[in-house]
Amino acid sequence: MPTNWADEVDGIEAPQTFTDANGITTHIEFRINDDGKKVKITRRTRNKLIHDKVNKAVAARKKWPKFGKERGNKPGPDPATTNVGDNIKLKLSSTGQVVQDVDEKHEAMKAQLQNKKILCRICKGDHFTTKCPYKDSLGMEDAAATLTPAEEPAAEEQQGGSKYIAPHMRAGASSGGVGGRPGSAGPDSREKRDEQPTLRVTNLSEDVTEADVSELFKRFGHISRVFLARDRETGACKGFAFVSFTMREDALRALEAIDGRGYDNLILRVEWAKSSA
Amino acid sequence: MIRPILLQGHERSLTQIKYNREGDLLFSVSKDHVVNAWFSHNGERLGTYEGHVGAVWTVDVNSSSTLLVSGSADNTAKLWDVSNGKCLKSWEFNTAVRCVQFSEDDKLVLIVTEPRMGYPATLQIFNVENSTTETVSSEPIYDFHPEGPKITVAAWGALNRYIVAGRENGSVALIDPKSGEYISTNKVHELTLTDLQMSADRTYFITASKDKSAKILETESLEVLKTYTTDTPLNSAAIMPKHQEFVVVGGGQEAMDVTTTSSRQGKFECRFWHKVLEEEVGRVRGHFGPINTIAIHPDGRSFASGGEDGYVRVHHFDDDFFTFKFQI
Repeated sequence: MPTNWADEVDGIEAPQTFTDANGITTHIEFRINDDGKKVKITRRTRNKLIHDKVNKAVAARKKWPKFGKERGNKPGPDPATTNVGDNIKLKLSSTGQVVQDVDEKHEAMKAQLQNKKILCRICKGDHFTTKCPYKDSLGMEDAAATLTPAEEPAAEEQQGGSKYIAPHMRAGASSGGVGGRPGSAGPDSREKRDEQPTLRVTNLSEDVTEADVSELFKRFGHISRVFLARDRETGACKGFAFVSFTMREDALRALEAIDGRGYDNLILRVEWAKSSA
Repeated sequence: MIRPILLQGHERSLTQIKYNREGDLLFSVSKDHVVNAWFSHNGERLGTYEGHVGAVWTVDVNSSSTLLVSGSADNTAKLWDVSNGKCLKSWEFNTAVRCVQFSEDDKLVLIVTEPRMGYPATLQIFNVENSTTETVSSEPIYDFHPEGPKITVAAWGALNRYIVAGRENGSVALIDPKSGEYISTNKVHELTLTDLQMSADRTYFITASKDKSAKILETESLEVLKTYTTDTPLNSAAIMPKHQEFVVVGGGQEAMDVTTTSSRQGKFECRFWHKVLEEEVGRVRGHFGPINTIAIHPDGRSFASGGEDGYVRVHHFDDDFFTFKFQI
């Protein structure tokens, strides 16, 4: 768009709008902010028109004015009465083992850990962190929020695994006041993630989703995280993903089984992810 | 992943929820005297129907979504204009109204009242054809006094040929709507029936009972076709009309014992069972108290549950739900 010389005198260019091949509209405008500086504001939007056919009676009912306690309220859900709840998983299974699912897992994990030392992360007692009597008073939101009770012991074992961790790097070291690293109040999520055995999966096709990846890998063991790189604009898969397991052995088995396997007419490549540090 | 919509329009426990025929509206009633109407797709409240002065036990909407009928413990049943919340008619009874339902052709309303204080239970049928405020009769066209155990739930059979009644002793009875006589009875449950919902064509129905089981029965013969046995007393059961051959049942520990248990041990979950193979396939949790009522959207794409905790939770199924295939 040609800019007017009069605008240029003011130092403000006229806003530009253009649409690219992907249907993304970019709107660029320049503005003087409160500090008197010129700022460029770029807005990228994609409009998608969705047509939906509805019954005539349903369409008519949508136009009804509200009544009773809602009289005079504007259209749209009122947060006072309507809220969105937390995500819920409805896992359908054909095996009829919906009932004991959680308990069985727990039992299996217990048996596995029978002759291993269990250490509570909160009070260092001889029990699972979730069973800690001081759980509520000492607070452990960070760990409790990311792990469900059944999976907790697995992660715990991982942390207390064979790999040597320098004392000042260990979880909870900072609370002991051994002169922990500056600015680190505890293990952040990134650090924790790096400790987990993570596989890098490459050569995925464009229409792969997180669900597909976890479907592919979950048969080898419990997956703590799946990250699928997506194109920021189109949302299509960029061709690689990271899969974190809680157990190293599971990850190793998955690596051996899936590497070189065909998937969506592409040959998958699986390798250990290199630490980002 | 399902992202439920929480409807907080009630201050006390839910007693019944119902979708209209197209499923765009959801009606909920509770012990707090109010009847709420919601848009099911986004949980927006359309309005409230005010006038009851007692716990509202039951609600039903006609197939054209013009009339709503509600029955309450204040000894009245009220007929409402769905679109504006106006009360068209209030029928007075001697005792609390336990169950209301429009007939398949929308012309008749079945109203069941409780036996109490020396008054017998009644089963009354009112004519609501072409209803406006002036034309609704205060007098029923039939007024029966069925003998035997108390009727807790009732529904019309196909073509108004039967009334199916579920009773306190766990039996199901077929009643002739013209004479009020029992045609047949079958004791299918050990304990009281808590819910009875018809299939889309009314040839079979599902019952839920405090004896921890739900059953599918054929309407004509009252023969038990399927049984779903769970580990908790059931308060509601519904049949999924499309997409998947499932039934959804819900319940939980009795409300009076609830404070002694965590929500997991209380088993406050909607359970999905395969209708034909009688296998449990999945569960949806979320309520803090027993589930009192379940309704499934007529197109099978979402379902709603109402609990003792005063919430209605509307769940729209995710794509995985529709692609699921049961493997034997």
